[in-house]
Amino acid sequence: MNGLKQHYAKIIVWAILLTIPYWFTYIGGYLGLANEIVIYALAAMALNFLLGFTGVLSFGHAAFFGLGAYGTALTIKFLVPSTLVGLAVGVLTATVAGMVIGALIIKRRGVYFAMATIAFGQLFFFIANRWNSVTGGDDGVGNWHRMPINLGFTTIPLFHNSLVYYYFTLLLFALAVGAMGLLLDGPFGRSLMAIRENERRARFLGINIELHVWISFVISTAICGLAGGMLALLDNFVNPRDLRFDLSGVLVVMAVMGGMRSFWGPLLGAAIFQWLREVLSSHTPNWQTYIGIVFVLVVLFFRRGILGFKLSTVKS
Amino acid sequence: MAQLLLFDISNGLITGAFYALMALGLSMILNLSGVINFAHGGFLTLGAYFAYVLQQKIGFFGALLIAPMITALLGLLVERVLIRPLYGRDPLYSLLLTFGLAFILVDGVRIIWGPGSPPYQVPEWLTSPLSSTYFFLTGYRVFMVVLVVTAVAALFYVLNYTKLGLRIRAGTKDLETLSTLGVNTRILRNLNFGLGIYLAGLAGALAAGFLGLSPALGTALLMPSFVAIIIGGLGSLLGTLLGGLLIGVAVGLTTVFYPAASEAVIYVMLGLVLVLRPRGLLGEEGRLH
Amino acid sequence: MSLLQIDHVSRHFGKLIAVNDVSLNVEPGELRAIIGPNGAGKTTFFNMISGFFPPTSGTISFDGENITKLTPEQRVARGMARTFQITEIFPELNVAGNLRIAVESAAGFRMKPWLNGAEKKLVADRIDELLTLGNLTTSAHDEVGALSHGDQRAVEIMMAMALRPKILLLDEPAAGMGDQETYDVSRLIRRVHREQKLTIMLVEHDMRVVFNLADRIMVLAEGALLAEGTPDEIAQSDVVQQAYLGKEADLGKEAA
Repeated sequence: MNGLKQHYAKIIVWAILLTIPYWFTYIGGYLGLANEIVIYALAAMALNFLLGFTGVLSFGHAAFFGLGAYGTALTIKFLVPSTLVGLAVGVLTATVAGMVIGALIIKRRGVYFAMATIAFGQLFFFIANRWNSVTGGDDGVGNWHRMPINLGFTTIPLFHNSLVYYYFTLLLFALAVGAMGLLLDGPFGRSLMAIRENERRARFLGINIELHVWISFVISTAICGLAGGMLALLDNFVNPRDLRFDLSGVLVVMAVMGGMRSFWGPLLGAAIFQWLREVLSSHTPNWQTYIGIVFVLVVLFFRRGILGFKLSTVKS
Repeated sequence: MAQLLLFDISNGLITGAFYALMALGLSMILNLSGVINFAHGGFLTLGAYFAYVLQQKIGFFGALLIAPMITALLGLLVERVLIRPLYGRDPLYSLLLTFGLAFILVDGVRIIWGPGSPPYQVPEWLTSPLSSTYFFLTGYRVFMVVLVVTAVAALFYVLNYTKLGLRIRAGTKDLETLSTLGVNTRILRNLNFGLGIYLAGLAGALAAGFLGLSPALGTALLMPSFVAIIIGGLGSLLGTLLGGLLIGVAVGLTTVFYPAASEAVIYVMLGLVLVLRPRGLLGEEGRLH
Repeated sequence: MSLLQIDHVSRHFGKLIAVNDVSLNVEPGELRAIIGPNGAGKTTFFNMISGFFPPTSGTISFDGENITKLTPEQRVARGMARTFQITEIFPELNVAGNLRIAVESAAGFRMKPWLNGAEKKLVADRIDELLTLGNLTTSAHDEVGALSHGDQRAVEIMMAMALRPKILLLDEPAAGMGDQETYDVSRLIRRVHREQKLTIMLVEHDMRVVFNLADRIMVLAEGALLAEGTPDEIAQSDVVQQAYLGKEADLGKEAA
């Protein structure tokens, strides 16, 4: 029953994502917005791998998103003018940071873990903001752009054709999301859910909690970094705001709003949030207040999220 | 050079005092209610702007007295209406709520008082230097230090010798038992929250004359305060105090020798503490979980 | 050689001495019970054996190896499994889902991203075995949160059994249960003990369970070993009667 429901959800999601460039304008959207939604959805789903499926709250994931973005941008600008190499370096940077920070804070649990992630979340913002000569400080990293991908027999015009870039993003999204889905469906994913459900029982079944949470954290930061790199490539620009703490909170809100116990929930949350931000910021200069009110309302009235049904019971 | 060094150290100590005031309130709320109050910086900013409005009506010292109280009252109300329904739920929810509240408070200040920095008047006799060699040693600086020391001493007196304080400390260890002993823990958490916000309001009213007014005033102090709590050790208020001061001095010193790293140094300290002493300087063992 | 060997173990919490210099040997195949009045240190003693915290002094050896300082996971790997006074299961999963996690962990698959056909079959067969052993086949697809207390306990014991332990530690398996459920759980424990020739050590409050099941009983009082012997010896021991009369209920009455 549940398996069937998930199957339909998958078909609907992919049908929408694949066709959206052709009808989004009719309901007031535009390609860039759709692309942003896909990218933020990937980041929120990566965060939710940790939050919703391992039961560990990180409130500092903007750091890894931003590291992916800066890693990608700086590589293309200064080192190798290649989209794929840039992305790879971005992901690698986020992953290494995730490994180190994860190892430092892994022994903490619950609210204290969250607090440590908040504290570390700002580190890279300060670095990006201060290290002017490389990161451009407050001005961000501009004067570069994503490069076409040369396959030998043909060239993919990523830069000049936004539609092609959208589908490039969607392909990466599919790979990353597919990998997360596969993991969550196997023994490792079940170990993570065991930790979420009952850490003590998991420990006394011989599951090494710290190692599992660490791996989950690193996977989550790596994919978040990928999303960051994709955003940098979309904008052909990186802004220090991409790694500021606000974004960490926004990613959590996306996951909670959509439903953190459901696999596709964060995608829905990201779509609603980006749409809302778009509408609000074009209508009122006080849109941050409204965003804040949205946060409060989500907490008070949407605790289980829009797709708030229980996670499907483990199939047997 | 010596003067400059002393200047930056004193700056660091004063900033550290603000971190400590802020972190103490955060820490109290975290310990008793398990709430990471992201809106703490927003309350600090409000305290600063309340003082700014009040001082035009009732003068500098009146504002310094009243503004933190009004901030605290607002804190009591917020706890009662928005945060109380979230106790007993995953800490995620209170964190998200206060995060949203921080947006509202900071943006609200900007809407009401504008994005700029309105002038905050400190009485002239307080701002003139006390000595010509140590030009930075103004009366206001001494005054701030004295006031912060007094406030912290008063806080520790309250926590150690009054009924309210003893209950707060007992509740931090075991709230359930305390409630079976007939203590109304809802009121206790409410008052504790108010006390924490009072400290934020006081820090704001003082910081207005030192760091200058701006809607982002509190947000800038928030992150170092989180770090101060972890460095000091979770569950230990004395540790939080020490953590705040240490961070302040470290930032002050780095500003002399390598200004670009003045923020990053906080994180170097955090990393060192987490590696060398995971429970923090004065943290209790077992508070990790 | 004893399977579990505990030598002069003590545990202090600040000034409180919860367990004071207790020694004990459990032989393979034995079903050993620990009883004692409230606050006698039973749970503390139990938690040291399963690795919640280390003893302040003394050593614990298991299967010839000193395990005093090992983590719970390491003890699980060496063949020690336990249940808790308040049942610890995965409430949002169904019975088979609970067992699946235990079986996969026991088979060493807990880090694997996916399983191949042979591994899947191995896991499915083992789950079926455990469902049968625990009399849970009919409720395999029920969410455990909705099961009765007794069935939840059965699930927890089967999750421990999934680990193929050399010793099973049961912390008050009949806690909070009605008469019928207590009876069912006792029968399950006895069946597991006999069929699998499994060494079991349990702490229990309910004297009916203890005197019914145990080969040997150890009595703790105020953190120290008060008496040790067969159920008959313990029932007739004056010191034990004294300790219980002084503390709470009459031993005879509870056992009746």
